[in-house]
Amino acid sequence: MSSSSAELAETATPISISAQRWVLAGLLGAVLLNLDHTAAWCVPVALGGGAWRLWAAQHGSRLMRRTARLVVVVVLTLAVLLSFRTLNGVDAGASLLVAMATLKLMETQQLRDWLIVLGASLFLLLAACLDAQTLWRMPLYAAELWLLCTVLYALGAGASTPPPALLLRGSARSLLLALPFALLLFLCFPRLSGSLWSVPREDEAVTGLGEEMSPGSISQLSQSDEPALRVRFEGELPPLAERYWRGPVLHRFDGVTWRRVVGQHGAPPTLEFAGRSYRYEVTLEPNKHGVLIALELPRGIPEQPSIYATFDYQIMSAKALNGASSYRLESFPEHRSLDGLDPGVRRLDLALPNGRNPRSVALAQSLRASASDDRAYVKAVLDYLEHGGFEYTLTPPRLGANSIDDLLFNTHEGFCGHYASAFATLMRAGGIPARVVTGYLGGEWNRFGGYLLIRQSNAHAWTEVWLDGMGWVRIDPTAVVAPDALHRDLDDVLAGMGVSGSGIKTLPWLIATLQAWQAVNAWWQDEFIDFNMSKQMHLLGALGLKDRDLESLVTLLAAGATLWLSLLAWRGRQRSAALPRDILSRSWRALERALTRAAAPRAPHEGPIAYSERVAGERPDLAATLRPLARHYARLRYGAGGSAAQLQRFRRAVRFFTARLRR
Amino acid sequence: MRSSAPPQSRFRPRARLERAVSAWARSRQGDDQAPLTLRSRRIYILPTRTGLVAAALLFVMLLAGLNYENNLALLLSFLLSGVALVSMYDCHRTLSGLQISSAQVESAFAHTHGELLLAFHNTGETARRSLRLRVSAVPPKLFELAPRSTSVVRAHYQAQARGRQRIDRLHLSSNAPLGLFRAWTWLHLPLQALIYPAPVRVRALPPPLGLPQRSERERRLTGDEEWAWLRTFRDSDPLRRVAWKAYARGAPLMVAHYDAPAGARRVLSLAPLHDLPLESALSQLADWVLECERRGESYALELPGRSVPAGHGLAQRRHCLEALALYETP
Repeated sequence: MSSSSAELAETATPISISAQRWVLAGLLGAVLLNLDHTAAWCVPVALGGGAWRLWAAQHGSRLMRRTARLVVVVVLTLAVLLSFRTLNGVDAGASLLVAMATLKLMETQQLRDWLIVLGASLFLLLAACLDAQTLWRMPLYAAELWLLCTVLYALGAGASTPPPALLLRGSARSLLLALPFALLLFLCFPRLSGSLWSVPREDEAVTGLGEEMSPGSISQLSQSDEPALRVRFEGELPPLAERYWRGPVLHRFDGVTWRRVVGQHGAPPTLEFAGRSYRYEVTLEPNKHGVLIALELPRGIPEQPSIYATFDYQIMSAKALNGASSYRLESFPEHRSLDGLDPGVRRLDLALPNGRNPRSVALAQSLRASASDDRAYVKAVLDYLEHGGFEYTLTPPRLGANSIDDLLFNTHEGFCGHYASAFATLMRAGGIPARVVTGYLGGEWNRFGGYLLIRQSNAHAWTEVWLDGMGWVRIDPTAVVAPDALHRDLDDVLAGMGVSGSGIKTLPWLIATLQAWQAVNAWWQDEFIDFNMSKQMHLLGALGLKDRDLESLVTLLAAGATLWLSLLAWRGRQRSAALPRDILSRSWRALERALTRAAAPRAPHEGPIAYSERVAGERPDLAATLRPLARHYARLRYGAGGSAAQLQRFRRAVRFFTARLRR
Repeated sequence: MRSSAPPQSRFRPRARLERAVSAWARSRQGDDQAPLTLRSRRIYILPTRTGLVAAALLFVMLLAGLNYENNLALLLSFLLSGVALVSMYDCHRTLSGLQISSAQVESAFAHTHGELLLAFHNTGETARRSLRLRVSAVPPKLFELAPRSTSVVRAHYQAQARGRQRIDRLHLSSNAPLGLFRAWTWLHLPLQALIYPAPVRVRALPPPLGLPQRSERERRLTGDEEWAWLRTFRDSDPLRRVAWKAYARGAPLMVAHYDAPAGARRVLSLAPLHDLPLESALSQLADWVLECERRGESYALELPGRSVPAGHGLAQRRHCLEALALYETP
């Protein structure tokens, strides 16, 4: 019970300049960690505020007046509003925090104010953690955490700030002691799925697959190296030609853009699977389209209430895929639809925009007329694309409103989207139901991580056509136009890693290093960032616990925390009971203990001789042994000191004496 | 016997709570005796106001981590909670194992701040920081103890009225290392202060006995009877009585000795103050004792039932003031 006035007096005490410097360093570090997602003015503002505060501290200049502070508050809040159009969300919140912490510096005089700046710095570190969790940032976060803990120690030390080395050592020590506890909580703290309150999330600019595809309006296909998904196979990998990763399926075409259909068009198809299968686990990065990417074609879907299959066999998630998700599937490259084509779907997949691409429609009609059946027509169109002088390029010219006509008769240049779009149009014009499938093709094997990495640059588009008697058949027109272009990513591992230059190809160690780094990153992503309830349950199983439920998780947490706390307490006891280590003192203390039990304790003012005399008076039977022992001790302790042999003799004598006393 | 708690705090709920809890603590830990080692049994710990705010902030961090389903934010809040808990143990350890080898209290004049001397012995390998020693409502003494060291700490207590005053409760606390927790213990040491009457001058010092009564003015005019002789300077002599003129002429340092003439001595007694209330009279006597000491005169004190023979110096001063302090007290 300490009186509140005393406590207030303590938080109102001014703090030393060196402690002020620590706080400023901590704040600056936290601001820098948020550099890439806060407003551009944050770093200059914080730097300026910190420099001004240091200058003011050294020159004892007056702090800012109340009205001036109010003006700065309004200006900075407006600045945040101007930068983000909101005060909500991590980015705007962090910017506002920078602004307010800097402002706090302007009026900071007392410990309480400095503690507020430290609190703001800790929340800025939290904002940085919420914003980015890539592996290379972790050492920076750890360093900042260490710095902020040191600030906590500097402010806690009161008026006399200890030297930096001592502070840094103290905070490192307590962080290390806290680490087992934090890891235990991390592993065992129940992860509830779903948010407690809805948070505005910035639309992440997901490159690669989108909701729609309009190849004609793109003049430069972005080659994003961002990972799209990672796949671990149980057993063998599918051959290159089978690595079609199916994503959103597009049906509606307006002459320029292919779009998905909204709403259901019947139940998912009944499929017959044959041949060999591949079992695998996918870790999917966040995406906007909400489709769980799968190798063509999976049997069954992940058993979760929010996951369902559509009529065109997309595996959809009803929940937004904001975080990375992982799921297990088994796919069969050989498959066949058993149902007939629903008339509604047939209409959907035969529809063409009225009056658009007239030359293409005419071409389709002429090819169709000379073909004996559907298959012959498909072959004729593929032949046309193969021998029509078409080129594969990632930088195609823009196409007009009649994009297919432009491509087929003018430009003759395009990438997968162009050819899939053109092929599907020609199919539909020839009376064959066709749809465009977007997804990924290929993937890069990482031997360190043991997974196949599929990047956004592996994005691909192909078509599926309905052939009576066969069902939906995948046809990849790009494979006909430019068979070599398809597997460029597989050939050129380096290009995908953002390393250019042909000379590097001859450096296998560099490739190995980069792949190892990717594997570590992937591990970090899987085991740390995406650690969730199911992994917690898996962990319980690995620990040999039978009941894999919340209850045993909490029990484990409680047991571990108790163990940690008692270890901390035990450690403290060890330290505080630090006794003199030498033989002489230990023996004498043992003797004192024995005499305390047998007669009386030594009074604080008594020396060994006086004490032994007093005890000898009370217990004459002990006098003969005790007196020489005490004199011996006094000689060894206060005289010139004894040899090791003498000390040992003294110890043996004490042992003998105490053993006799006990009997 | 009076307790050291100021009377006005009796009505404040917080002070009452503290008194109740400390009484309970005293009943379970018993009275203390000077060489003692603080053990866990008697050390109490609670979060400070800063600690409570920090706990709230940590909870907000945890909520943010849970809401954004962000493992890194969760780990951050867990680590910081761990650091806070480690600091709780460190805070407890600041007091645990600390030895108090002796304690004594110095006398003081009534209604002033007296001094309390506590000798602390830190046997540990680490420094003990941010220690606070507080006696009732007096501002606390802040100190720290280096590793393996002994030091004497002076704290203040509020002297109440004249007489014996028991200081029955000391509050020793620390909020090291982070200020998030405060560990404390109550010490119930047998400390008893003697409180002298507060010196108050109402009347001038009465003239020595055995001489005709003369006014101050007359004495100053003749200036003869008090100035006795010069003697060589001793370390304890006040500088203003050094014969500077003689010194300037080349003589050794001499002091003027204002001894009263033979047969004449100052006897301080209640007799000339019979018209004052007792406490005022005692205060006046205390003032005269100090005045005599300042002048370096020899004086005696005669109280009904207690007399101090003539003399001067620190021992004489103490004897007289003690006699005044204890006059007609139980």
